[in-house]
Amino acid sequence: MLISYNWLKEYVDVKLPPEKLADTLTMAGLSVASVKQAGGDYIIEIEVTANRPDWLYYIGVAREIAAITGKRLKVPAIDKKGPGARAQGAEIKIKVEDKSLCPRYTARIMRNVKIGASPDSFAWKLAAMGLKAVNNVVDITNFCLFETGEPLHAFDLDKISGGEVIIRKARKGEKIITIDGTEKILDETMLVIADRDKPIAIAGVMGGINTEVTASTKNILLEAAYFDPVSVRRTARKLGISTESSYRFERRVDEENIIYSSERASSLIKEMALADKGKFFDIGGKAVRKQKIILRISRLVKIIGQEISAPKAKAILSSLGVKANISSKGNIECIAPSFRYDLKNEIDLIEEVARIYGYANIPLTIPGIVEQPLRKSPAMLIESNIRRSMAASGADEIITYTLVGKGLINRAGISDEELVQIRNPLTSEQEFMPPSLITGMLGVMMWNINRKNKDLKLFEIGNVYRKKGADKFSEEKYISIGITGHTPEEWSIKPRPYDFFDLKGMVESVLRNLNITSYEFSAAESGIFSQCAVVKIKGDAIGLVGEIAGETAGNFDIKNRAYIAEIAMGPLIRNASLDNRVRELPKYPSVSRDISILIDKNISNSSIISAIRSASSPILKAISVIDRYAGENIPKEKVSLTYRLEYQDQSKTLEDKEVTEVHSKIVCALEEKLGAKLR
Amino acid sequence: MREELKKLETEALKEIEASSNDREALEAIRVKYLGRKGALTDIFKKIGTVSPSEKPEIGRLINIVKENVSKTLDAKSEAISKRSVKLDGVDVTLPGVAHKTGHLHPVTRTINEISDIFISLGFRVIEGPEIETEYYNFEALNIPLEHPSRDAFDTFYLKTEKEKYLLRSHTSPVQARFMEENSPPFAIIVPGRVYRPDATDASHSFMFHQIEGLVVGKDIKFSDLKGVLTIFSKQMFGSDTKMRFRPSFFPFTEPSAEVDVSCIICKGEGHCSVCGDKRWLEILGAGMVNPKVFKAVGYDPEKYTGFAFGMGVERIAMLKYGVNDIRLFYENDVRFLEQF
Repeated sequence: MLISYNWLKEYVDVKLPPEKLADTLTMAGLSVASVKQAGGDYIIEIEVTANRPDWLYYIGVAREIAAITGKRLKVPAIDKKGPGARAQGAEIKIKVEDKSLCPRYTARIMRNVKIGASPDSFAWKLAAMGLKAVNNVVDITNFCLFETGEPLHAFDLDKISGGEVIIRKARKGEKIITIDGTEKILDETMLVIADRDKPIAIAGVMGGINTEVTASTKNILLEAAYFDPVSVRRTARKLGISTESSYRFERRVDEENIIYSSERASSLIKEMALADKGKFFDIGGKAVRKQKIILRISRLVKIIGQEISAPKAKAILSSLGVKANISSKGNIECIAPSFRYDLKNEIDLIEEVARIYGYANIPLTIPGIVEQPLRKSPAMLIESNIRRSMAASGADEIITYTLVGKGLINRAGISDEELVQIRNPLTSEQEFMPPSLITGMLGVMMWNINRKNKDLKLFEIGNVYRKKGADKFSEEKYISIGITGHTPEEWSIKPRPYDFFDLKGMVESVLRNLNITSYEFSAAESGIFSQCAVVKIKGDAIGLVGEIAGETAGNFDIKNRAYIAEIAMGPLIRNASLDNRVRELPKYPSVSRDISILIDKNISNSSIISAIRSASSPILKAISVIDRYAGENIPKEKVSLTYRLEYQDQSKTLEDKEVTEVHSKIVCALEEKLGAKLR
Repeated sequence: MREELKKLETEALKEIEASSNDREALEAIRVKYLGRKGALTDIFKKIGTVSPSEKPEIGRLINIVKENVSKTLDAKSEAISKRSVKLDGVDVTLPGVAHKTGHLHPVTRTINEISDIFISLGFRVIEGPEIETEYYNFEALNIPLEHPSRDAFDTFYLKTEKEKYLLRSHTSPVQARFMEENSPPFAIIVPGRVYRPDATDASHSFMFHQIEGLVVGKDIKFSDLKGVLTIFSKQMFGSDTKMRFRPSFFPFTEPSAEVDVSCIICKGEGHCSVCGDKRWLEILGAGMVNPKVFKAVGYDPEKYTGFAFGMGVERIAMLKYGVNDIRLFYENDVRFLEQF
């Protein structure tokens, strides 16, 4: 809502300069977005919250300023002769068919209007609101909307056919060309103003071009009504339009202000367009009994944490137009004014008192918050642990969009079955929820590679989404890790390409950090990867680690080899243990022995290690692969491997003899069971 | 035997000469020649094969070789000690070897920072689902269907057959879910991802993060809300941060407030690239829990009062780190990420 500083001053004595006024309004809840100088005037833009339609017009804003600053509100006088005859005349019949959507409908006939341009002394106000002047009658209805908050509509009386105005639901498929020149197709949920033949306005939203007031108009019918807020909102939304009128009806206009607004407009039309005031119709409008609301001072103090006396609270409420009386119990009995339909409950009054008393005058206190046994759940602690261990291993955390296009999912080679789909996406690029973090990871790799950030170590912890049958959806947390490119280039260390084992090592470090020992990797097949391993904990698959297939990498402009892991967080969390018990340090030295063997290529490291383990005794503490070679000087189907075995006894220094005994058993086992040859 | 000794000595001295300048290598040489199983010991064991007349002479020669090797080792060792006093011939202006660590995403970092402040004030962290029902996203929070107050919460709906599901447009539904399952008193914060159908530009994103807070008890007041949020803001933006609580409207709180902090760049002086001339930055929405929300979850509003607040994580991160485009958070350009 725009407020012209100069225009506003017609309704209340504003002594504050514009900037100060803006601050005052802001601190009272009429948030000022901007103050702009415009000629000799200032335009103040206020953001009006949905609960305060009474701030959508000048008299309402002036009333608030009057309450805050203790000044008097000046409301323009209207024609003292009153509304005139209320009886229906012969010349036009008005019929409200749908009383629930139109509880109140008034119309004033005005004859012999002299349509012309509004004088500058009037037109500047419309210009200040950003409106173009049309003609005096239309300008006056627009002016009154901003002044009194009541959207008015003027029809050309002579274009209403059949002498009938009917307020009814539209018929399905009925059409109307509105004053903006576009055709609207209506349906039976929408309320229209119609004549005998056709709709002439969409109630509360926009008038029709068929009865528009033009330069040739002689007689008019001036409408001022109350339309059901929900109905106007639905209609405007369905038609995809929002007008100054619909905006106010949706937020509810002040029913008690209808007569005043209509009289104010007809007075101005009489004065500026020299029209004769004719008959006045007023249909509906039963007086509503006003609800009494009790404000307990004890409750007020309990909610805001500041002592405020009953007379003080009463004074604040009275300044806002609330009828307030202190009861014998010391509470305040209130009746809200009609323009404050938002004041319905005690808490609404408490807010008003606190607002005008000033939030700044309420003290700062600290609540006695109760201790909670766990400030973060174990799952959250584990998640933090994983993030830390990923960052420690050199990976940057990414967060990717969880609304993507189907194309992205397809390009990543991920199945597009059972996708969670958005009914009302903004674009097709944000239509689906990803069933895997790999799409996001590949997208980020592409973004970076295209910007010459070729060496990447990335991870993401986020949800993946799947449809699980009709109207059932799952969102499950996963972690993805992706690497591509080379190790950092240093003057003293040659870079080398990242490979599968860099990624596997990162996955293993996550597992080890969570004290998960019962994991294994085994070769697996997947369409996403050219080669990959499945990670299992206690036999259950929890994710895949592999090299992205060449075609997929090509789809994402990934030129170097790229490796991605995707692992479910649930099983990691279930199997993790953050309890850390320290092992005693060994008191006696360990002995290392190396074994170099030549062995068939198809025998896996894990089977060699289990052969070593089963042939050894408890003094074997650790086994590590320290060298692997295949190529020149070695038969094609063979590989040379060197294992370092570390022996140790917790209770004594090992003797050579003991080590030799175990070590030779191991050598035998490798030779006999796996056909290895000692080198 | 004599020749063997001579050869051994020459080899040992050569080896010492050629050895790299570290003590571990010298120690290996010492073990190799002088150790219990070393080469000289082996020769000494063979002394029995020598004629008795030659024995004393061979013995003396062995000792000489032993001493020579030992002295040369000592000398070399001493030389190393001296050399290590200064970096000999090293260009110290060459860069050190980088030990590259990764970086947490600025959104994670900001969530952690905010959470830690509230945890220190006694709050507990709770999470909830992103796919929600209309009931929890709206009705339970006193946001009626077909009401203008829904305009602030444009929402993505899922394609479904019968039931209505949506992507939560704020983290507040977790409040209602939590209250249904728990009894006061409590103090929780809820970080999480939320969605709104906004066209993406420098300051809007259809996906972003929020942190919601909720404190409910028998004696929770608006002044407590002011106290807690003041501590938070000063901890987050600096102890000289000024605060402003402005009346506002949210369907789920009453009285409601928008919370502003003095601009963290110009400190409220104005003429600033961040706040313009406004001098204040809006960071939070807050208020006392509306009795209707308590009723919806089965709490007696006469017995319990509470306050709630919510903030946008990206907005806080943008202010705190001087990020001028929200899209940077989701592009994940490593040159951006590595600044955190």
